[in-house]
Amino acid sequence: MESVALDLDNYRKLLKEYLLTHDETALYQAEQLSKLSVQHNVSPEEIIHVHIKALKELYPELPEEVNDSLNFLLEAMISYGLALQEYQHLREKQSALESEISVAANMQKTLLSTKKPEIPGLDIGAISVPANRMNGDYYHFIYDNDHTLGIALADVIGKGIPAALAMSMIKYSMDSFPEDLRQPSRILENLNRVVERNVDPSMFITMFYGLYNPKDQTFSYASAGHEPGFYYHKETDHYSEIEAKGLVLGATNNATYDQEVTQIEAGDCIILLTDGVTECHLGDRFIERDEVLDVIKRYMHLPAQEAVEHVYKHFERLQDFHLRDDFTLIIIRKDV
Amino acid sequence: MNINLDVDVTEKENETTLHLKGEIDAYTAPLLKEKLLPLTAKQDHHIIVDLAEVSYMDSTGLGVFISALKSTKEHDAQLKLVNLQERVHRLFKITSLDTIITIETTVRGGN
Amino acid sequence: MDFKSCVNIRQEWDIVGARQLGREKAKELGFGTVDQARIATAISELARNIYLYAGTGKVRFEIVDQLDKKGLKIIAIDEGPGIRDVSQVMQDGYSTSGGLGAGLPGVKRLMDFFEIRTEWGEGTEIETIKWVR
Repeated sequence: MESVALDLDNYRKLLKEYLLTHDETALYQAEQLSKLSVQHNVSPEEIIHVHIKALKELYPELPEEVNDSLNFLLEAMISYGLALQEYQHLREKQSALESEISVAANMQKTLLSTKKPEIPGLDIGAISVPANRMNGDYYHFIYDNDHTLGIALADVIGKGIPAALAMSMIKYSMDSFPEDLRQPSRILENLNRVVERNVDPSMFITMFYGLYNPKDQTFSYASAGHEPGFYYHKETDHYSEIEAKGLVLGATNNATYDQEVTQIEAGDCIILLTDGVTECHLGDRFIERDEVLDVIKRYMHLPAQEAVEHVYKHFERLQDFHLRDDFTLIIIRKDV
Repeated sequence: MNINLDVDVTEKENETTLHLKGEIDAYTAPLLKEKLLPLTAKQDHHIIVDLAEVSYMDSTGLGVFISALKSTKEHDAQLKLVNLQERVHRLFKITSLDTIITIETTVRGGN
Repeated sequence: MDFKSCVNIRQEWDIVGARQLGREKAKELGFGTVDQARIATAISELARNIYLYAGTGKVRFEIVDQLDKKGLKIIAIDEGPGIRDVSQVMQDGYSTSGGLGAGLPGVKRLMDFFEIRTEWGEGTEIETIKWVR
């Protein structure tokens, strides 16, 4: 951060011109000089110093009191000069941090990336948008050789970098589970132990795990304290809450999870979400779950991917395009 | 938006009651943690948290109560939450934390 | 050591004395007004640190005369509690956020050379030099 010396001749010329003409042009040039000085780390006391010198050259008879008072002003400006330097230093540091975070965010994207599987007979839509740079929500599809489809959806307390780190841990634990570990309740029980052992006591994760088996067209699922999703029954044209009780991951070391199973008929839908959807602020109030469902219903005639994107855009608009929490929505529809 | 949390502490022998007022979120949770956690580390201490005037709580708040619960178990202390508003109570129900944290929806009058 | 080149810091008023002596030395050496003001500010910070955190200590001035350059060396010594985490106090914003002024990073910026020796429980010695340009 080398500072450039202010050009005394130029300054004197500008000052003289202004004192003679009181011309706005000279003031405009002073503004330009001020900007340039900030850019080049010229501190206020240096400008005052140059000002004193220029003034003395223009007015050799300058009263001693004026000279002294300007030196007094110079002294008073020293801390501002330091503050400027500190600000510039912090700005450089911040931009270094920013770029580190952006590298981390990209890494997270790669690490946690999941491919939405193309499965005959199923229409799947999924969207997950972080409130900040790093996502504390996570969803993952596990499509196996035996054609079962596992769906994991998790939400870490808080957001940002700590949440993202905890999420990577969940993803790697799941990857390391043996292949025959498919039962939702068993998966949650195993993850609970991992989380309980490895994270801060005040940190926890909510998670929903579902397993679709195309052979008998069943959907088995278990929930670790996750925001309930919705189930759409085509036959009765009715939406119901997906009921599943279970403790959040990380609260105790021996939680067990009940597994439910439901038969999926043609046209039925499974709607999964995180509380970034239901905790959506509308000015001073929150959106009620019924309203969330109303919004989802409005777009359910669309293909699943279009539907989730429209719902997201709807809520984004409602919150003035500024999400307060990470937002994740998944819709799975069994084709007619 | 500038919403705060007031924590009013009433101490009795072997029992402390925290009256909370406001919102518990990422900004106010550290204050709650600072007041609550030291109490949970007192052997055999009874802690009552009155949430009657808490209109909103997010998952950060739940996290504070989970860590408080873990700490009470280590020190044989007791934690009880009372007078939860519906919206706040729902959070404890969804997360099933109501199965491991003692919650009373009505509190007995003064003795 | 020249007797008049050392100021004991016991009360806030002594900060002014240290500044004054430092400024005189700086003038003698031929520093310009801007650098004089910077040196005085650095002395203030060092002396105030002693006054606030150590209670008592001293600020000493030495003229450094090398072949190619001349400068003013300021040494601040105290036997206070010392600094537990030097890298923390040398961080921007650590002291300024508490409204305490430019802090040690500020002194480092105002001067050309800066060195700190401290041991937790055994006091602090800061040596800093500004060269005449």
